[in-house]
Amino acid sequence: MNPRPDPSQLTAPDDGIARGGVLLDVKNVSLSFGGVKAITDISLNVLKGEIRAIIGPNGAGKTSMLNVINGFYTPQQGTIIFRGRERRSMKPHEAVGQGIARTFQNVALFKGMSTLDNIMAGRSVMMKRNIGWQMLWHGPALREEIEHREKVEEIIDFLEIQHIRRTPVGKLPYGLQKRVELGRALAMEPTLLLLDEPMAGMNLEEKEDMSRFIIDVNQQRGTTIALIEHDMGVVMDLSDRVVVLDYGKKIADGSPDEVKNSQDVIDAYLGVPH
Amino acid sequence: MFYRTAGQFKTSYEADHALFPVRQDAFLLGVVLVIAFVIFPLTASEFTFRALLIPVLIYSLAALGLNILTGYAGQLSLGTGAFMGVGAYACYKLITIFPEMNIVVAIALSGFFSAAIGVLFGLPSLRIKGFYLAIATLAAQFFLVWLFQKWAWLYNDNASGAIQVPNIDMFGITVAGPRATAITQYYFVLCVVCVITFFAINITRGRIGRMWKAVRDMDIAAELVGINLMRSKLMAFFVSSYVVGIAGALFVFLWRGAAEANLFDIPLSFRVLFIAIIGGLGSILGNFLGAILIVALPVIIGSVPQAFGIPLDSAMVEHLNIMIIGALIIAFLIIEPHGLARFWAMIREKFILWPFPH
Repeated sequence: MNPRPDPSQLTAPDDGIARGGVLLDVKNVSLSFGGVKAITDISLNVLKGEIRAIIGPNGAGKTSMLNVINGFYTPQQGTIIFRGRERRSMKPHEAVGQGIARTFQNVALFKGMSTLDNIMAGRSVMMKRNIGWQMLWHGPALREEIEHREKVEEIIDFLEIQHIRRTPVGKLPYGLQKRVELGRALAMEPTLLLLDEPMAGMNLEEKEDMSRFIIDVNQQRGTTIALIEHDMGVVMDLSDRVVVLDYGKKIADGSPDEVKNSQDVIDAYLGVPH
Repeated sequence: MFYRTAGQFKTSYEADHALFPVRQDAFLLGVVLVIAFVIFPLTASEFTFRALLIPVLIYSLAALGLNILTGYAGQLSLGTGAFMGVGAYACYKLITIFPEMNIVVAIALSGFFSAAIGVLFGLPSLRIKGFYLAIATLAAQFFLVWLFQKWAWLYNDNASGAIQVPNIDMFGITVAGPRATAITQYYFVLCVVCVITFFAINITRGRIGRMWKAVRDMDIAAELVGINLMRSKLMAFFVSSYVVGIAGALFVFLWRGAAEANLFDIPLSFRVLFIAIIGGLGSILGNFLGAILIVALPVIIGSVPQAFGIPLDSAMVEHLNIMIIGALIIAFLIIEPHGLARFWAMIREKFILWPFPH
């Protein structure tokens, strides 16, 4: 196996925000679909370099929150400040240019393509050569392809998926598909990485692997991570700060220990007698 | 044994991204090209060129165009015949307005006309998918064929309503029209098809090809990795219609010699679609295999029974042909949806392991 890539070369692009500064600030955001209120007046922030967990019972608005953050939904009220600038409403494909990448709750890979192509697709935005060069497959287009291939191979080494490089992802087991999806998100070199239930449906060993990758991404690459997860053990161990949502409202926010002992959170998860 | 890949190590990404990472593939293609460029011209008769070789190449090219759109970018289209017609009529107008124009230039330019029309009729793909899009492209099919019939300017107010290919010379050799020989036309078509296939392979394996496949496999995820859906869909329509338009220009100028509007009607669209499906969606090789099958089948049905002394009249050949093609399409959809190209891929896998399968 190749040696681990040098972490110092893999740090996320510098954007003038010091570690621990506010990277993303969501202020008083409300989102509704027709009469259904998905998110009601939620404020939360994500600090640079931290692992931030969003938890809550089913239907609490967690995934909607991620969709608001990466621009897939535009909230009716509230402001989102990312990297110190207030964000206009934008098309989802523009969010990538801003430095936000995400994975999905249900694996959303390109099933007909190989692992390598899936991860390469994550770099589409950074590849600029036009169709003329592409047709010839020479000069700039070939150089660009190889340059990005090298970056993608670093990610493949990092995630230890060398052996499935050429396998169509539709044929891979679920745990590996999740890993490839993480790889595709990493290929976008995000400042902020959003993970929607990265460990859903995994066995203990796969969860341990995935946790290790998440911590490595956070520490070696300095990528800020916001994740949704249902496995409380994982959430409490991994994250620096946790926000708890219930019925579209924020009911707790703080360190894992604070959240664990909050009466509101216990009520939300265990239920209260009426 | 002959296809062993062991020992062919790649030491750079450049080598790994070569057109043929496996040496035997390159050798095999070399053999096919030698047959196409040397053996066929030495041995084939006028009839073979006109009934088999030239149509196989032109249909392959049309199917390649459709495959870029349907197999790679996942946008179903039933308007291929009409887009071929746009290429053919555009080429006809260019040749008659500028008679001194080189035919290669005229054909290359006529592709842009069909590309523009293709993008126009591709606009609905931004909002609708699948069968609904197929119906929208069907509108292109009906509208354009109607236009070819009604707009007399397109066929220079010809009394017959048909376009006639004049004699066209290139560097002193007649390449199109009644005076052209089959062998020059064959070489002309072969060169165009080789060049466009080479370009198509490169586009589909690079950044743009990955974008198209991403849109095909999961459009929402494609959008969230930063792919602009609108641009990549319209680009697929552009490139696809360009290739289809060129195939249409070749279809009339290098093969049929004359064409009426109804030549580009739905049966042609379906014929090309069948070639793409039987050959294999999402594959370049498949178009050639599919075209060989579809074009060669009636010739084989017509000639083989006669060789065995069983006379078949031409109506019978026609009926048998339709029945067999129908059965083949159903069989392919059930047994191997990825078509002939996948069969070849499986045979190749077997060869790589043979004779030590474990």
